[in-house]
Amino acid sequence: MSQPQPSLAPKPWLSSEATPFVRIQKVTKKFGDFTAVDDVSLDIYRGELFCLLGGSGCGKSTLLRMLAGFETPTEGRIIIDGQDMAGIAPYDRPTNMMFQSYALFPHMTVEANVAYGLLREGVRKAEARERVAEMLRMVQLTQFARRKPHQLSGGQRQRVALARALVKQPKLLLLDEPLGALDKKLREETQYELIRIQETLGVTFIIVTHDQEEAMTLSTRIGVMNAGEIVQVGEPPEIYEFPKSRFVADFVGSVNIFPGRVVEDEPDFIRLDSPEMGGTIHVGHGVSCTLNQQMWFAIRPEKITVTRDRPDAEHNVVQGLVEEVLYMGNLTAFRIRLDSGKTIRATRANLSRQEHEPISWDERVWLHWGDTSGVVLAQ
Amino acid sequence: MTGARRVTESALGRLGLSGRALVVAVPLVWLLVFFLIPFLVVAKISLSEVTIARPPYLPLLEWDGLRATLNLNFENYAYLWNDPLYGNAYLFSVRVAFVSATLALLIGFPMAYYIARSPEPRRTLLLTAVILPFWTSFLLRVYAWQGFLRSNGVINNTLISLGIIDTPIVMLQTDFAVYIGIVYTYLPFMILPLYANLVKLDDSLLEASADLGGRPVATFFYVTLPLSMPGIIAGFMLVFVPAIGEFVIPELLGGPNTLMIGRVLWNEFFANRDWPVASAVAIAMLVVLVVPIMALRSAQARAEEKR
Repeated sequence: MSQPQPSLAPKPWLSSEATPFVRIQKVTKKFGDFTAVDDVSLDIYRGELFCLLGGSGCGKSTLLRMLAGFETPTEGRIIIDGQDMAGIAPYDRPTNMMFQSYALFPHMTVEANVAYGLLREGVRKAEARERVAEMLRMVQLTQFARRKPHQLSGGQRQRVALARALVKQPKLLLLDEPLGALDKKLREETQYELIRIQETLGVTFIIVTHDQEEAMTLSTRIGVMNAGEIVQVGEPPEIYEFPKSRFVADFVGSVNIFPGRVVEDEPDFIRLDSPEMGGTIHVGHGVSCTLNQQMWFAIRPEKITVTRDRPDAEHNVVQGLVEEVLYMGNLTAFRIRLDSGKTIRATRANLSRQEHEPISWDERVWLHWGDTSGVVLAQ
Repeated sequence: MTGARRVTESALGRLGLSGRALVVAVPLVWLLVFFLIPFLVVAKISLSEVTIARPPYLPLLEWDGLRATLNLNFENYAYLWNDPLYGNAYLFSVRVAFVSATLALLIGFPMAYYIARSPEPRRTLLLTAVILPFWTSFLLRVYAWQGFLRSNGVINNTLISLGIIDTPIVMLQTDFAVYIGIVYTYLPFMILPLYANLVKLDDSLLEASADLGGRPVATFFYVTLPLSMPGIIAGFMLVFVPAIGEFVIPELLGGPNTLMIGRVLWNEFFANRDWPVASAVAIAMLVVLVVPIMALRSAQARAEEKR
């Protein structure tokens, strides 16, 4: 594929002039009484690799299927490349989808599967053969061209599905849990592969996934969904470090959440009283809140330091008992029971190969975090 | 419980039987007693000579006290070959069966497809409706068609009273009536295997085809049809094979010219009392049938393999 990389503003979603490529406007989808997608509005820009992230049943797949044309929105509009998609059948849309089950035609060879879309489009056989061969080269399946899908491994099938969706050079590629069936190693490889393909072809990707790690590594932006609604849209670091709600904080990565009441509300800091923490939490920046308001303090395990000796700090120091130590190779995860009875998770990077006297079970340790390490959430 | 089973097993074991052998033996014995032995008897009769006696044929083996003489008589087969009546009846039967099976496929496929794609409560209802006619006697249902097709039957009367035709259309006792009877009777045998196949058809394959630009017609011919081939072949076979030997339908609905092999067979047995020729007709039919069945079977195996 020798297409030039499209020149784009690096982050079109930050500029107010950029025209969105896909516009989802107030889309609602109901199945009987059940609302699968609830008043979702979303703009996605050309060349993006957008992830819809959420648990099962959150409506992310339904949203994707509405983009592909398999479902019609009950309310709202979907506009792709300036064209309203209402009443346009899947076979007339500028989209291609990679199915979660891959949906490869079992009675056709790999080659025929990939050629299918081109032939339906009326591409001449000779040209189709050439484009299929080129595509198979790209996904490294040339030697499997004459095999049937059932003679392939899961990873190979997944690449066939990708090749079949990409060969038509769609404006918009929809991927439903593309890496779901792959083992960890293959997943990682394929992730890089997807990013590489996306960059060379300049296709806009919308990926549906329940795997937050996948969403983190792949996407330009993530839209977190819950119960049919988009709860937060943002770049991966934004989603991870600045979640807007407990749901997002909890869904993306692991987190410790403490309820707390605002006892001091100053322009440059606030203090929360949290009985679960066994004291007050000092937050070193202003938060829009009122005195006595119920808030939640969320802090990620890697932002808590675990030490034997009391750290030399004024705020945010608590003591607890190590309940569990999980050695994970690159890091060690602790579960520590605070005196209030609440358990807290903390991780520590294993920086040296052999620690002198590693912290172990049933030890009393000190926990500490910086005063800007956590997030204060109103909901 | 397990103790009891162990006792049974050891008892069977002493007889040299395992549970598995016993399970297989039941259908085997059934086939032996009710298919293979009768078949051999018929084959034997087909090689004997006709006589006026009871039974109306001469024995194959003659025992004169000193030695046995085997009298194999191939005359009956030669007779079948030479008299064009039989060849024509075979050809006509195959034609009728083929056309009927094709019609049943054309009618049955959309029905099976619709049932398979229906949501659950309706699907069961429709399936029951397909099987429901079996609860009425087959003979009764074919007789009922006489009432429809007669010159003063339901169809003609309706058309005349509507002023569409002046004189009744002759439908009963024609090949047309035979086709109607066979297609009507055997349609469930086409629908059921097709349904069983189509209900397994993965929706996402149809969606994938549409997604890749396949319009409904293309999706049907490139995806649905090839994937339902095993069901089509099974249904076709279930209609085609019994239709060849069909007797009752051509007898009740067909005219004097509808000479299907089942009728010929009946005439030889009961009208002419020529058991040897009748047996030869039966054996020849079996041989004629084996070829298309084998062809269809291997086609089915190939289609299954593709999936």
